[in-house]
Amino acid sequence: MLTSLQKAIELILTGNRELGNILLVTARMCLASSLISLLIGAPVGIWLGAAEFPGRRIFVVIFRTLMGMPPVVCGLLMYMLFSGVGPFRKYKLLFTVTIMVIAQVVLITPLVIANMETYVSSLAQTVKETAKGLDFGFWKTLLLLANECVYPLFSTYLLAFARSVAEVGAVSMVGGAIAWKTNVMTTAIMLYTNRGDFTLGVALGIILIAISLLVNIAVTVMQRRLSR
Amino acid sequence: MKKLLSRLMAGALVTGMITGTAVSAVSAAESTVTSAAESMAEVSTVILKEADDNMINTYSLLAVNPDAPFVDADGNPVSDVTLNTAGAEALIDWFLSEEAMTLAAEYGQEEYGDSLFYLLEGAPVFEGEIAPASEETSVIRLSTTTSVNDSGLLGALLPVFESEYGYTVEVQSAGTGKAIAAAKDGNADLILVHAKSQEEEFVDGGFSYVLPGFESERLSFLYNYFVLCGPSDDPAGVKDCESVLDAFAAIADGKYPFISRGDGSGTHTKELSLWPEALGITDAPESFADYTDWYTSANAGMGACLVMAEEMGAYILTDKATFLTFQANGGNM
Repeated sequence: MLTSLQKAIELILTGNRELGNILLVTARMCLASSLISLLIGAPVGIWLGAAEFPGRRIFVVIFRTLMGMPPVVCGLLMYMLFSGVGPFRKYKLLFTVTIMVIAQVVLITPLVIANMETYVSSLAQTVKETAKGLDFGFWKTLLLLANECVYPLFSTYLLAFARSVAEVGAVSMVGGAIAWKTNVMTTAIMLYTNRGDFTLGVALGIILIAISLLVNIAVTVMQRRLSR
Repeated sequence: MKKLLSRLMAGALVTGMITGTAVSAVSAAESTVTSAAESMAEVSTVILKEADDNMINTYSLLAVNPDAPFVDADGNPVSDVTLNTAGAEALIDWFLSEEAMTLAAEYGQEEYGDSLFYLLEGAPVFEGEIAPASEETSVIRLSTTTSVNDSGLLGALLPVFESEYGYTVEVQSAGTGKAIAAAKDGNADLILVHAKSQEEEFVDGGFSYVLPGFESERLSFLYNYFVLCGPSDDPAGVKDCESVLDAFAAIADGKYPFISRGDGSGTHTKELSLWPEALGITDAPESFADYTDWYTSANAGMGACLVMAEEMGAYILTDKATFLTFQANGGNM
C-alpha cells in the first residue's frame, strides 16, 4: 500500500500524460452525466413528490426499481442498441464518450428522481398548507417549494456524481476502455488489475478518491452557503 | 494470507467511495502496509513447462469482411455495417512489413532479456506501398486479445505506425472469444487473435476475406509459447513429465489446484485441448461440475488469474509474455 501511495504521488508530480488524459475523460464524462441527470431528474422528482394524481405511486415504484438497475445490464442494452449491427448504428456512437454519458444518464436519472421525490413528498403537505395560509398562488407555492429543495439538491447531485465516477460496468461495456479516448479512472483500474499491476491500480484508486473528496468539499461548501 | 488481506484492502479502497467509507478503509489499510510490503517481495509461481510443441501460440491477423453476413440481436440480416476496410488493410500491410516484424521480434529483449514474440517461419510478408491515412480512413478499430495488449507489444508498435502514416488505432482488448464477437457485431475493422479453431470458424462464417496480395484470410505472423506455471515446489511433479499432456494428466490425477481462465480466450481454448480426453472438460460449466474441488474456472483476465494462482499455490496455463510482465511487476506489488 505504501508503494501504491508513493506511485500515486509520483504519477501526479511527474505529470504522466496518459494519466492526464484519463483524468480529463473522466471529468468530462462525470460532469456531463451527473449534471444532465440532475437537470432531467430533479424537476421530475420534485413534481412527482408534490403532485397528486392517480397512479403516482406506480411511477414512484418504477423509478425506485430502476435505481437498482445493474450498470452492466444498462451497458449491455446500450451496446446492443448502438452496436455496428444495432438499430441505432447510423449514429456511430459506440466507443465514444457521448455514449458513455448517455448510458450513465439512463442509470443515474432514476436515482435523482427517486431521491428528490422522497424528500419533497415529506414536506409537500406542510408547504401547501403554509401557502394556503398565506394565500399564495400556484407559482408562489412552487417557488416556496423550490426554495425548500436547495439543500437536498446538492446532496442529490453528490449522489449522482459519486455513482457516475465510481461506475465501471456500463462505461467499460459501451466505452471499450480505449486508451486516449474512452479510458476513465475505473476502467483503467480494471485494466491494470487484470494485468496484475495492483500497485498502479491502487495508485489510480487513491487519486480517484482524492478527487472525489475535493468535489465533495466544494459542493458541501456551496450547499451551506446557498441554503442558508 | 497477508497478501490476500492487503488486496482486499485495495478493493475496499476502490469500492469505499461508493459507500462513503473510504476514509476508514484507508486508515485500516495503512496498518497492514509494512507486513504486506515484506511478504510481497517475490513471486512464488514459476514456469515449470515451456517450449513444448503442444504449447505453440500463434497470433493471426484477420480483416473483417464488409460484406459479411452480419445479423442483429434478433437474427435479422444487417447490410449497411460501416467498416474502415482501407484502414484495416493498411494496418495489416504494415504489421507484415519488415519494419513491424523487426520491432515485434525485438520487443521485450531490453526489458526481460528475452523476446516475447517470435516471427513465424513462412509468414506472409508485405513489400508494397502502405496507403497513408485519408480523412475517412484515419480511425482504425482493432479488436485484440488481452495478451497482445497487456504485454505492451501494441504500445511499442502502434505509435510508430500512427506517426508514419497518420492513422489513429483504437485498441479494444478482450479475450479472443469476445474480440471475435465484437468483430461479428461490426464493431471492429480487424482482429489480432490467437485461437485457431475460433479463427477458422470466423473465416468459415464469411466474416473475413482475402486481402489483395495475400493468399489466406488468416494471416499468422507471430508466435510464442504458452507456459505451464505453478508453485515452485511442484507437488504434481510436472517438471519431470515428458510432455505437457502428461503434465496436465498428472495435475488432474492428483487433483492439484488449477486455475482456468474460463473466459473463452485463446489461452482458455488452448488449455481445454490439453486435458486428458476422458475428463471431458469443455467450456460448458456442467463439464467440470465434478472437478470444482481442484479446477477453478475464474472467468477473468490473465493477470487476475495469475494473482489467483499465486494466492492458491495453483497451476495455471499462461502466455509467456503476460507471465514475464507479471513477474516483473510482482517484485513491487
